[in-house]
Amino acid sequence: MATIDITKLRKVFGDENGEIVAVDDLDLTVEDGEFLVFVGPSGCGKTTTLRCIAGLEDVTSGTIEFDGRDVTDRRARERDVAMVFQNYALYPHMTVRKNIGFPLRLSTKQSSDEIDARVEEIAGLLGIDTLLEQKPRELSGGQQQRVALGRAIIRDPEVFLMDEPLSNLDAKLRSTMRTELQELQSELGVTTAYVTHDQTEAMAMGDRIVILEGGELQQVGTPSDVYRSPANEFVAGFIGSPSINAFTADVDGGLLTGPGGFEYALDDPSLVEGYDRVRVGVRPEDLRPEVDGAMPSEVTVVEEMGNENFLYARMGDVDLTARIESEIHPEEGVTVAFGFDEEDLYLFDPKTSESIKTKTSETDISYEQYVQPGPDQ
Amino acid sequence: MREEERNEALWRFGAYIFLMVIVVLVLIPLYWMIVAATIPQSEFFSWPPRLIPGLQWFDNFQALQENVDFLNSIGNSIIIAVAYTALSLVLCSMAGFAFAKYEFRFKEPLFYFILATLVLPIQLLIIPLFLLMVQIGWTNSYLAVILPWAANPLGIFLMRQNMQAIPESLLESARMDGATEFQLYYKIALPTMLPSLAALSIILFLNQWQAFLYPLVILQDPQMYTIPLALAELVGQQRVYFDQIMVATSLAVTPIFVVFLTMQQYFIKGILSGSVKQ
Repeated sequence: MATIDITKLRKVFGDENGEIVAVDDLDLTVEDGEFLVFVGPSGCGKTTTLRCIAGLEDVTSGTIEFDGRDVTDRRARERDVAMVFQNYALYPHMTVRKNIGFPLRLSTKQSSDEIDARVEEIAGLLGIDTLLEQKPRELSGGQQQRVALGRAIIRDPEVFLMDEPLSNLDAKLRSTMRTELQELQSELGVTTAYVTHDQTEAMAMGDRIVILEGGELQQVGTPSDVYRSPANEFVAGFIGSPSINAFTADVDGGLLTGPGGFEYALDDPSLVEGYDRVRVGVRPEDLRPEVDGAMPSEVTVVEEMGNENFLYARMGDVDLTARIESEIHPEEGVTVAFGFDEEDLYLFDPKTSESIKTKTSETDISYEQYVQPGPDQ
Repeated sequence: MREEERNEALWRFGAYIFLMVIVVLVLIPLYWMIVAATIPQSEFFSWPPRLIPGLQWFDNFQALQENVDFLNSIGNSIIIAVAYTALSLVLCSMAGFAFAKYEFRFKEPLFYFILATLVLPIQLLIIPLFLLMVQIGWTNSYLAVILPWAANPLGIFLMRQNMQAIPESLLESARMDGATEFQLYYKIALPTMLPSLAALSIILFLNQWQAFLYPLVILQDPQMYTIPLALAELVGQQRVYFDQIMVATSLAVTPIFVVFLTMQQYFIKGILSGSVKQ
């Protein structure tokens, strides 16, 4: 188990055709035992960062430390790090038993019997103990995934790295494996860095989430932090599904006016003091139809999900999405006014896109009254 | 629909007949070799030709053995071809692995340079190689036949092409698991390349088994003769020992069958499948 300290990490890929900065001066600490998720669009540098931690990629500058030991110049096999690859990378000529036992055969002096016992223990933990004599090509995607996991955990590494390990599974299996991975990680308590492009996965799994874009760190925080208090408009747009509705509005004192007749008077005009224009953001789940709503919009599509409805609407030249109760299904083509609470409103600086205001609604509703006495109390 | 099916069946039938004719044509000389090895030379040119094997094989073989010590030549050929194949497989697969999976300076030019040596005819190399072998005193030795061709450009090319199919993540995964670079080659690359290695070993073995010109120049001592050299002895200016030649060739082709049948089991389709999820 280890704390990972990344200091001023920079990775530049270059050839005669020019240079690409994949990771740009990244400073980050992964706490001991933490499950940290790197998320961002493709090309944001998340996988490169992971590969630098793994030792599969040389860094251009900066340092990586495990528990204060500088490992920047160490090879992958000297770092005591295990990695699960997106495509699993199982050894095709070895049985499941040999695949899982491979790291131990290489790195320890344990006897074959000891290794076998350990392999069986791990396979039991992952529920693949009946598959030990099969070859990877005889396994299903989910089983291959477990073998890859088994190979990673058998060595009891200081750090786990996972590069989109669930992206090749079908949706149902993915959510099962997601839960299993989390349970496994908390059971083993190993510091884990996990890469995904799927913000839902990031939100569901991460103790903290690192959002990267263009090789630059946008924000690090708990799922609730990055959702409620995004550092900038990019984070606000990337986290949350469907995406936040964002558009530019003119500022006149405390009055915001925008496309398609948007008009909203801020309760607290001091928020936008000194701005001519701001970017306004409202999450789809915070919108609701309202008699005098600030956002008159023409409904274009209604998607009924059963438990809720997604409304797609146009306000002037802005596309809006709203998640509303399933009981309300307006006809396509009608104009509905949407309203929201000011505490759910986001405001961003139009130039820097930094956040001016984020969610301020209540986050801590007491639940003590509902707690049932446990068996041991 | 039935018309189509019947037409297809007819086509198939015709194709099989055609293939069978070809097979028979190919097999006739082989069959004649066996027949000719078992009859006295006097019956060789009889007309109509003899089609049933005789009982003279052992006599013919004894004559051959007295004439050129053919068993010794078989031994020489086996030692040379096996050692050459083994050494060449190691060298070609290592070079192929490096060219396929590592980055180093002048990699591309070096690779094309190696390929370019394929165009050099053997006749061009024989005299300088012979002089070299005389200088280091290796004439009449196995090494002199094996070493100069051990790093086979064709083999390097084949191994490089095939090893490019090894997924990068497979090697990286092994690196993370604690494998050294040599273990990557030895424990991951080689086992996954078994079919290619088997195919290459057949090519290499065959090349060395039938090599004639270079061994003829280097090996002057009849005790060191390989099979092709011993065979050449049987074709004299005065007389050609057809019966003995046929016995010798029928013995000479046997190891080729053995090698092919042994290697065939490694032609496993899709050995890399299941390794990475596409």
